[in-house]
Amino acid sequence: MAEGTDLFERRLGRDDFLKLAAVGAGAGLLAGPAKAAEAARARLLAESGRLQVLDWAGYGNDGGQAMFAAYVKKHPKNKPQFTYMTNESDALAKMHAGLKPDIFRPYVGWVKYFAQSGLVEPWNPKLIPSFKNLNPFMVKAGQYKGKQYGIPEDWGFDAVLYRTDKVHPKAKSWSLLFDERYKGRIAWFDDLNMLVIAGLLLHIPRPWHMTDAQLEKAQKFLISKKHVARMIWASETDMDNAFASGDIWIAYAWPNDWVQMKAKKLKVAYMRPKELPVAWVGMLMLGKGTPRRRLAHAYADAWSSVPSAKWLENNYGYGHANTKARPTSSDLLRALQLTNPKAVTEPNAHLDRDIPRRAVYARKWEEVKAS
Amino acid sequence: MGRGQGVLSVPEAQARRRRLRLDFTTPVLLGLPLAWLAVFFLVPIAIVGAYSVGRLSLDPGPHTVTLAAWHDFLHSPIYLKLFWKSVKMSLIVSIVVVALAYPLAYYLALSGTKRKYVLLLLLIAPFLTSYLLRVLAWKVILGNQGVINSFLFSTGLRSPDHPISQLLYSRFAVMLVLGYIWLPFVALPIFVTLESLDRRLFEAATDLGASRWQTFRRVTLPLSLPGVIAGFLFVFIPTLGEFVTPSLVGGASGYMYGNQIVDLFGTGFPDWQTGSVLALFLLGVVALLTIVFSRFLQTREVTAG
Amino acid sequence: MNVALSRRGAWVLRSFFALVVIFLYAPIAILVLFSFNDSQLPSFPLSGFTLHWYHQFLVNADLRSALETSAVVAAISSVGAVLLGVLASIALVRRRFRLKAPVSALLLSPLVIPYVVFGISLLLFFHAAGIPRSILTVVIGHIVISLPYTILVLMPRLQQIDVSLEEAAYDLGASRLRAFRSVTLPLLLPAVVSAYLIAFTTSFDEYAVASFVVGTRSTFPIFLYSALRFPNQLPQVLAVAVVVITVSLAVVVSAEVGRRMAERRLG
Repeated sequence: MAEGTDLFERRLGRDDFLKLAAVGAGAGLLAGPAKAAEAARARLLAESGRLQVLDWAGYGNDGGQAMFAAYVKKHPKNKPQFTYMTNESDALAKMHAGLKPDIFRPYVGWVKYFAQSGLVEPWNPKLIPSFKNLNPFMVKAGQYKGKQYGIPEDWGFDAVLYRTDKVHPKAKSWSLLFDERYKGRIAWFDDLNMLVIAGLLLHIPRPWHMTDAQLEKAQKFLISKKHVARMIWASETDMDNAFASGDIWIAYAWPNDWVQMKAKKLKVAYMRPKELPVAWVGMLMLGKGTPRRRLAHAYADAWSSVPSAKWLENNYGYGHANTKARPTSSDLLRALQLTNPKAVTEPNAHLDRDIPRRAVYARKWEEVKAS
Repeated sequence: MGRGQGVLSVPEAQARRRRLRLDFTTPVLLGLPLAWLAVFFLVPIAIVGAYSVGRLSLDPGPHTVTLAAWHDFLHSPIYLKLFWKSVKMSLIVSIVVVALAYPLAYYLALSGTKRKYVLLLLLIAPFLTSYLLRVLAWKVILGNQGVINSFLFSTGLRSPDHPISQLLYSRFAVMLVLGYIWLPFVALPIFVTLESLDRRLFEAATDLGASRWQTFRRVTLPLSLPGVIAGFLFVFIPTLGEFVTPSLVGGASGYMYGNQIVDLFGTGFPDWQTGSVLALFLLGVVALLTIVFSRFLQTREVTAG
Repeated sequence: MNVALSRRGAWVLRSFFALVVIFLYAPIAILVLFSFNDSQLPSFPLSGFTLHWYHQFLVNADLRSALETSAVVAAISSVGAVLLGVLASIALVRRRFRLKAPVSALLLSPLVIPYVVFGISLLLFFHAAGIPRSILTVVIGHIVISLPYTILVLMPRLQQIDVSLEEAAYDLGASRLRAFRSVTLPLLLPAVVSAYLIAFTTSFDEYAVASFVVGTRSTFPIFLYSALRFPNQLPQVLAVAVVVITVSLAVVVSAEVGRRMAERRLG
């Protein structure tokens, strides 16, 4: 079923037609019309077309080319075609709307959700040579019911980025995102994770499993503090731009944002809150019924390889699940604790995890934005 | 045909035949446009209604018709407040824009300038170019390192450490941009109304001893009110449901009612029922306004030249 | 003596008009300025002249594909809108029937519906009907949106066309269709062209409804919207902006001028 519709959906370029014609003609000369038809059909049914990748900004042709350069070299005819997702909710919405990516990248908190959703199928790690070098803790986090649904790649933290020349935090805490003194200079993240952060600040013991009463509290807190937020960013580059131009001094941000701002010669610090940062691990997932299974595995392998891992760490300030890769800068190594295979979990950080009542959290967050 | 036709004369008979022939072409003519609108405009709205009461739902499985979503909406402190916020913003934009557009239309219609249609076209033309691109232009202008601020820095009027920061990502930005977008268009109905005023009224007023200002206040302004109201509605109604501009330049505080509707449909955990309620509420308000002020929105006010 | 405006009043208003026109065109001028500026960031001071961004966007395949998609959608939906508009206008102008007021209200009602509501209603409709989102669904939505505009352009012109010309044709034995083709249509043509162009520019620029019902291919406004959220593409986008605005201004102006000239000549 998926094969048939995909054949029609794929737009054959003029080149494809010419090549098909050539193949058909050549085969026809050699082997007669029936054989020619067979050959042409076989070629069509083989994996072809561009690899459809649904990914975050910065991981596509807008800067992340080094991560999949090896793939492009080996499969120049199946170069990835990117659609961008601003977060997993957005990806989900796009897939409901009919987008059928071969690969997309939700993060570790969503593994269970997507595995159960019917939108993805498990990988075959045997087809990914670099798989064996991936951090076993993270590999386990990408499994559901024993099957490998997510291949861990990038990892890092959610924490608070701030301008050291303009901001003097009272404590190393998430509370900086809600500091009245910097009203109008703060950027929140457009994601229901803000509720989790509020939960952490309010000392709610398991913020990913809040009861209705606890959710009310967290929501009330956010609503009461909303006036200090200048922006609630969905697009990372939006936030980067606002930060770089000085519209924002404090932001809910990722390590790469810290790297970018330092590159722009701003005086910034990436704070480790005492309530612990949230940690995330990016999980490449395989779209169900993809007609480019092997190509997708090749792409995942390119992403998982040591050179790619090193590039990511050196250029984006993110960790990479490949344990054999070390960034060249030892500062970065220390700052991100890249030598600690369990850096992403307690007692170092709160690993993002499945939120069983995610739909309820989503509504509560929408209400915060509406207030 | 022929002499034995009875009481009708020949021309009358022909006219009557024509009228009879006329009568069933009207459904044929109107059939297609009305059918198109019925299927792709009225039915979809009805479907929104169905979603809002749970008759249709995104989740499979049994669902009951219920007014719970409407009840929650009307009793929630959040949604009506957001709606009211959008109403206030739209009101401000609309009033300012109408106030600015009136003198423009007045000048074009009543100053006797020879090139009024050229100038009118000059005024309207930006409205007919890309909306998003004009919003983009303002994003470029308003940022901390945008045109306004960098100009102020380079001329030394402000130091680079103290840019005017509240220009972008604020309610002000949203209202400014929306006003900019709609200003050209609002002048049109006012112009049409002013242009169609009988000049002899002015002369009569002057003959009766009125000054220009009195003429304006007692004659022109009241008579041009239909055009003013039409112009006001032309900007108020679309602005009320706006979501594009707020999402681009509004930041957290410029979030409007339309944004919430989009968010309720667009995220990965869409709540189509609540979203439908919000959408229908907006539609209801707009429909009410349109009906109440319908005599100002007559076709003849709008069709210019 | 002008009874509505004194000399001073006229001077004040003229200056105000000039100021407003400057205000309206200044942002567009700024777009033009920075599209030639040799810098990633549009801010003063200027960094030198370059045509680099124009070249860049010409080789941007995603952008070209979005422009194509929008052109196709606009072309098709405008044909639909004009066709339906002609039919409706004839009925409204030339025929007498009872329910004229509500019918014309219905035909013009897409003008007042907030696009967010209409977009959502189409989304839900297509979902309920099982119709997958695609270029077709966008075309359908755009026909609805453009229909009132075409009617508003066609109706006045139709009213201007002397009905006795058509009646003369009937008297000469022409069928209704023949009369329309030979008499009405040629006289209506300038307005038809104008209506088509207005529908085209409306559809080409339309973001809100398209964003709800588009499938996997982007239209140009949708591409633009996401480009706006990725400001590293900003200079290219500025270049595109300038080109699109220039072209649409040229189209609009020449359409209006052309229409007036043609109508004056046709009478």
